[in-house]
Parts: sequence; structure tokens; C-alpha cells
Amino acid sequence: MYDVVVIGSGPAGYVAAIRASQLGLKTLCIEELIDDSGKPSLGGTCLNVGCIPSKALLDSSHRYYEANKKLSEHGINISSLKLDVAAMMKRKDDIVEKLTGGISGLFSANKVESMMGRGSVISQNIVKVTKSDGSSEEVEAKNIVIATGSSPIEIPAAKFGKKIVDSTGALSFDEVPKSLGIVGAGIIGLELGSVWSRLGSKVTVIEALDTFLPMTDPDISKETFKEFKNQGLDIKLNSTLTSSKELKNSVKVTYEQGENEVEDEFDKLIVAVGRKPNSSEILSKELNIKIENGFIEVNQYCQTSLKNIWAIGDVVRGPMLAHKGSEEGIMVAERIAEKHAEVNYDLVPSVIYSHPEIAWVGKNENELKDESVQYKTGKFPFAASGRALAVDQSTGFVKVLSDVKTDTILGVHVFGPAAAEIVQQALISMEFGASSEDIALTMFSHPTVSEAFHEAALASNNQAIHIGNKPR
Amino acid sequence: MSVEIKSPTFPESVADGTIANWLKKEGDAVAQDEVIAEIETDKVVLEVLAQSDGIISKIIKSEGETVISSEVIGEFEEGSLDTSKKEDSTQEVELTKEIEPTKDTNTKNKKNGPAVKKILSEKNIDPAPIKPTGKDNRITKADVINHISQKDTSEESSTIVSESGSDRPEKRVPMSRLRSTIAKRLVSVKQETAMLTTFNEVDMQPIKELRSKYGAEFEKEHDVKLGFMGFFVIAAVQALKKFPLVNASIDGTDIVYHGFQDIGVAVSTERGLVVPVIKDADTKSLPEIEKSILEYSDKARNGKLSIDEMQGGTFTISNGGVFGSLLSTPILNAPQTAILGMHSIQDRPVAINSEVHIRPMMYLAMSYDHRLLDGKEAVTFLVSIKEQLESPERLLLNL
Repeated sequence: MYDVVVIGSGPAGYVAAIRASQLGLKTLCIEELIDDSGKPSLGGTCLNVGCIPSKALLDSSHRYYEANKKLSEHGINISSLKLDVAAMMKRKDDIVEKLTGGISGLFSANKVESMMGRGSVISQNIVKVTKSDGSSEEVEAKNIVIATGSSPIEIPAAKFGKKIVDSTGALSFDEVPKSLGIVGAGIIGLELGSVWSRLGSKVTVIEALDTFLPMTDPDISKETFKEFKNQGLDIKLNSTLTSSKELKNSVKVTYEQGENEVEDEFDKLIVAVGRKPNSSEILSKELNIKIENGFIEVNQYCQTSLKNIWAIGDVVRGPMLAHKGSEEGIMVAERIAEKHAEVNYDLVPSVIYSHPEIAWVGKNENELKDESVQYKTGKFPFAASGRALAVDQSTGFVKVLSDVKTDTILGVHVFGPAAAEIVQQALISMEFGASSEDIALTMFSHPTVSEAFHEAALASNNQAIHIGNKPR
Repeated sequence: MSVEIKSPTFPESVADGTIANWLKKEGDAVAQDEVIAEIETDKVVLEVLAQSDGIISKIIKSEGETVISSEVIGEFEEGSLDTSKKEDSTQEVELTKEIEPTKDTNTKNKKNGPAVKKILSEKNIDPAPIKPTGKDNRITKADVINHISQKDTSEESSTIVSESGSDRPEKRVPMSRLRSTIAKRLVSVKQETAMLTTFNEVDMQPIKELRSKYGAEFEKEHDVKLGFMGFFVIAAVQALKKFPLVNASIDGTDIVYHGFQDIGVAVSTERGLVVPVIKDADTKSLPEIEKSILEYSDKARNGKLSIDEMQGGTFTISNGGVFGSLLSTPILNAPQTAILGMHSIQDRPVAINSEVHIRPMMYLAMSYDHRLLDGKEAVTFLVSIKEQLESPERLLLNL
């Protein structure tokens, strides 16, 4: 009998398991993914086929791009630049292996047991684990935590195959496709598009919506659209893929751009239209736990209608982000141990690891207008930041939105160098209810790109030093 | 265990007070010696402290109600703070039930953010009554701003009793306790004494020279500025010793001669005029007097003067000069017999040895109770003060 059985070892599941064990609970974590050598591959989508490998390739491709296009500006000339895709992929695979192996290490250090197989909840206290050889085993649990994650959505117009791939496939091409089509201009599509575009692919992004990155602040949406186009991504908005066909050496696609039907041909086609929660065949029907649009229904503490069954991460409501799942994992473990814990869903940061990065937290201007909140804006361009100019990353800006009356920071939106790290600084302050003046009164090291956040906070109160302020 | 929360024992001179505000609500946990309510009397604001750790179970006298000395104003449940919420069990909760965090109610030791610190000190706000919304019960800038605007609206709404019916704007508000006490006292002094004022003027040149010559050294040595007020206090003490009747007071048909010189110094504050008393001024040196004046004015401005510090007094000095008054007739501080009014210093032509000189001059006014003092005594008392100020060496020689 375990105190806690966690199904899934992604960033939600493994974190929940480690914390539960730290709190003195006997904990088991079940994972079905097996690597090429037959060992369980812990870490879920994030470590195996998501955040980490994509960041490895984003970095490698950026280095290549810099060497290819940018270093000569610095007076560094390379005469025979050569791209070795296999070596690049190996580096990525090594990082993944190191990190997934790291989780096994963390499990043993924290006395978390792990078991290979596919877990499903057959009664309120029993989890059935089906092994890859077809055999199965039942484990008893006082508490069950479902952290089964999500998978890429497949669309009828583009069934996955050899040349039509999902995000996972796009992380392991063995050569650079000359032309690459991407369906979906979301975070995943843009990151993968950036990788292959830097390595030499001609990238076309087909996006059904007519707004670019509609979840971002309107300024971010406008500026980043320009920048992506500059970088060579051909983004076709208001375009819906209608059909696709794998040919011998290419993929032929048809899409409707507004009224027009357009045909095109790519070496490879990546479908990145979103992800769906992995909730089918996890819960026995008799448990009567509701599943809505694939998401397991839970309260604000990730508890299902059965008090000892919990669900966290991508399989429940909220953004499908590793850090959100991890925080839910911590909360659930703490709550099982009868401690107080909660997740502040108002402050979930989002990042797009393009170059420059895009990151934000809190409300954007569209949302504040919809909610009729009286806000003020403080903006500072990286073009006015000494450090940003020195490191040749002066595109973009920091934008701080705060309440007109109370000065409380409501949202921070960054497009530019180290955007994710700057947003993190903002988030910490917002967690403590900071006002823009709090940031304005805080010392920042010079020269850093973070100073742009300082200046944007100062600009919120018309006190910016290194840029003109709005006329009052 | 349930205990009564009582208002503090008021001094004899204080008849009653008003609950100014409750800093804690019913159900709030408090630590021993934490301030739970404030009572405004006609002299000071008194704090009601928690006698032990526990929880406020009942508020009997709400804000604005009048209370007398040692009256029960609420009830209090004694008990340790941290055991209060332990009985809830997570396992038993319903799907929708929230588990209340064990709240840390102590905001005092929390470090405030820079903007909060700035606004608190700029606007001189006491952070204690501000309701915190930040992490771990920290006060945010928004909390301070909301506190200020709430205070503004609540002050307006609670004080406006009626608006005039006509379209010409008019607002009727009740007097604060301090203001109505001042009003009552002033009228009774005018009615019950035979008040009369005598004037003189003093050449401030010698004191000015003394200050410019020794001011810096004095401040360095004693850590307080060399002001004008100290000289007036010392001069008054010397004069009071020579004229003990000025230092006396009437009690019924008796004259009470005081064997000490307690000098009241009028300080203007936002709430009104208060008069802290420098006790045994005759035994104090000039630096000691300057220090107590500084301490009292700071306390007065922050509403921290205790009743004890304002009681008694055998003579009062009031300085209308700080506001620019050239001449005025001060009103007695009953039951004292005399009050000295200082005024602004003005360069004026004066005749000295048949020559016209420009001198920094100050008019002095002394109001006195003619029942006790005759004109001769009052006038010579004032002349004595004038002479000491014009020749400060007299202070040294006890002349």
C-alpha cells in the first residue's frame, strides 16, 4: 500500500512524487515511456521531446546562424563553415539522456520508487500497471495523482507519416529540409520554424487565425510579427490547411488563404496546431470523475470529485506549461500531507524561445481593456539600452502595465534579450504585490538588459531617465 | 477563557473618551501587548493593549461611541495563537471547501517594499491599521493607497451630518473632541477670570548675536539647535522666582503658591493646539530645555503625547511668531495666572541714546488674571523678562 501513486513522470508528476516522498509519504511513480535501449525514460514530454531538446536545437541553430551571418560584423571571419546535423542531434540527445538519467538519480535520492508501464485507475484505491510485454500488476494507493500529460493533436488534413511530422519528429530530422511547412504559428511552431530557418530551410507557416500570437500583448504581437518576417519566416495568417499528400520526395499541401486556394510543396511538413490532454483510458468509468473536452475536472487544488484522486499538469485546465504542472505537483503533494499550499494561477509566466525571446506575465492591454481596468503604460526599447546595443541585441522592448490608482503592476511584456529572465524578476515582485514604483526604487546593476525593466517601471510614472517621457 | 477588554483608567481630569478606531475585528488573533483599539480623549489618544495572546471574540463599544474610564468595550478569548486552527483535516474536505491558511497576523516585523516605505514616511502614516493583502501579510503600495482613500471617504461620510438645503454650498460637521474641549475652556476662561494683557517689546539683537556666535558649537556639544524658546523659558523661570504670585493659581478663595516652575509650551498640531509641560524647568539647563521642547513637538505632531506630559503647568509660553503674528493677546491656560505671548521678530527703527538704530524687535504680550495680579506686578514681571532677554548675562548673574 502506497501513500501516493503518481501516474506519469513529466515535470508535474516527478515533482509531485519527489515532494510527496520528502514529506514522508511512501511514493511510487509510474512511467510508460521507454528509451531506445529499453530503460524507462523519465521526465515526460518536457525533457524527452519538448522544452529541453528544442532549447538545445534553438541554441545550436542560433550559433550556426551567428557564425554564418553575424560574426563578420564583429570582425570574425570564418572561411569554411560546415553544418553537421548529426553532431547537433547527438548533442541534443546527450543532454536529454543526462537529464532523464538525472531524474532517476533524484528519485533514488528522495526514495521515490518507480515502475515501468502504463498506469490506469481501476478503483478509488487501485492502479493497474500494464507492462510493455502485456502483463499487468495492481498497486494499492491511499492517494492517486494523475499526471499523464498531453500529446500533439493530429488533424484530418495532415495525417502523420514520414514527411508529415509532429513536434517530436521535427526535433530529429537527419538533414536540413530545403523547404519546410509548418501548420500553426503558436509557440511550438515558431520555435521549430526558427530552428530550421536558421539552419537554412525556407520556412512557410500556415496559421488559421488572422491575428499573430493573439494571446500576447498587441504591441508584442505587432513587433514580433515584423521580426519573424525579417528573419525569413513566411507567415501566412488567415490560412487553413485543407489537404496534404506525401509524395516521394516532398509533401504537397493545399490551404485556403481567405477566399483563395493555394497549393504549395515542402520537403517536410510539421503539424503544430496544439496538444490534447492524455485522459482516455486512465480513469475507470465507475469512478464517475468528469472529463470535459479531454481535461479531467478538478477544483482549484487539483482535486477530483473523489477526494483522494488528484490530477495535475497538461491533463487538467490551464495553460500546458511545464512550470504550471510542477507547481501543481508541489501543491498536491503538500495537500496530501495535510499542509496548506496553493497555486497562483494569475501569475503563470509564458515564454517563446525565439531570438529575441518573447515573454510575459499577468494581463496584457487587450485583457485590461476588456475588463475596463484603468491602467498606465511604461515602455522602454532595448535600442536605448547600452548593454543590449553592446551585445547586438537591441530589438524589442519592455512594457510594464500598472493600475492607474494603486500603481500595482498588472502585467509585464518583454520582447528582447533575456526576456524570460526579466519577466521572472517582474513575476517575483508581482507575487509580493509590487507597484511600478517599487521597481523604480530598486537598484539594478549596470550595464544589464534588466535595466530596461527598471526604466519601463520609471516610465510608468513619467520618470524614465534614459528615454523621453510621455508629455503630460 | 473569556476576558473583558476594558478601556484604560483615565486620569482624573479626563471625564470620558471616544473609541477612535478598532485595529482588530471580531475573530482576529492578537498577540500580547498588541494594540487592539484607540480611544481619543480631549487630551490624547490612549491605546488599548491585549493583556495576553488570544482572539477578539466580541466588540461591545463600536467606533465613535463614548466610553468612560475602565469601561468594558469588548470581549477577548485567551489562548495560544498557533493551536487555533489545527482541528481541520485535509482528508475530510469536500471538493469545494477551501482550507484556510493558518494566517500569520503579525505584519509588524515584515519588511515593507520600497514604495510602501516611501509613501508611509512621506505621508506620515501609521502602518498598523492598514489591511495587508501581500504575500505573508505584507503591506503593498495598493494597500496604503486604498487605506488613504478609504480613510478620506469614511471621514467625509461619518462627519457630514447635514448639508444645507439651499444651493449655496455649506457643510456641517461635528467638532472633534479636542476642538470642543479647547472651545469650552477658552470661553470659561474669558468668563471666569479678569483677564487683561500688558505689552512690551524686546530687542532680540543680543540673543541673535549669542546664537550666531555659539549656535554651531552648542549644536555640536548638545546635539540640539540653540533656539529662541529656551531663552524665553529660562527668562520666565527667573522672573517667576522673583514674582511668585505670577506662578501661583486661584483655587476657590485660596491662593496656591507653587514651589516649582512648570512651563507649558504651546505646540500647534493637526488636531489642534496642545500644551506639553516642561516639568521643574527651574532645575533644567538651557540644553536640557531645548531638548525637551524638541522631543515634545515631535511627540505632539505624531499624537504620541501622554496625558501626564500635558498635565499641570504653572505658566505658559505661546509663540504666535512662528506663524507671523506681530501682536496678539493670548488667553490664559486655566488655572494659571499668566501667559506670555511671543511674536515674530521684525527689523524696526528704534531710538537708542538719541540715535535711530535698526534692531530686530519682538513684541511681548502677557495676559494675566487681574484678580490675583495687580498691574504693577504684571508689568514689572514682563519688564524683567525683557531685561533678561536684552542682557542675557543677567541670566547668568541671577538678576
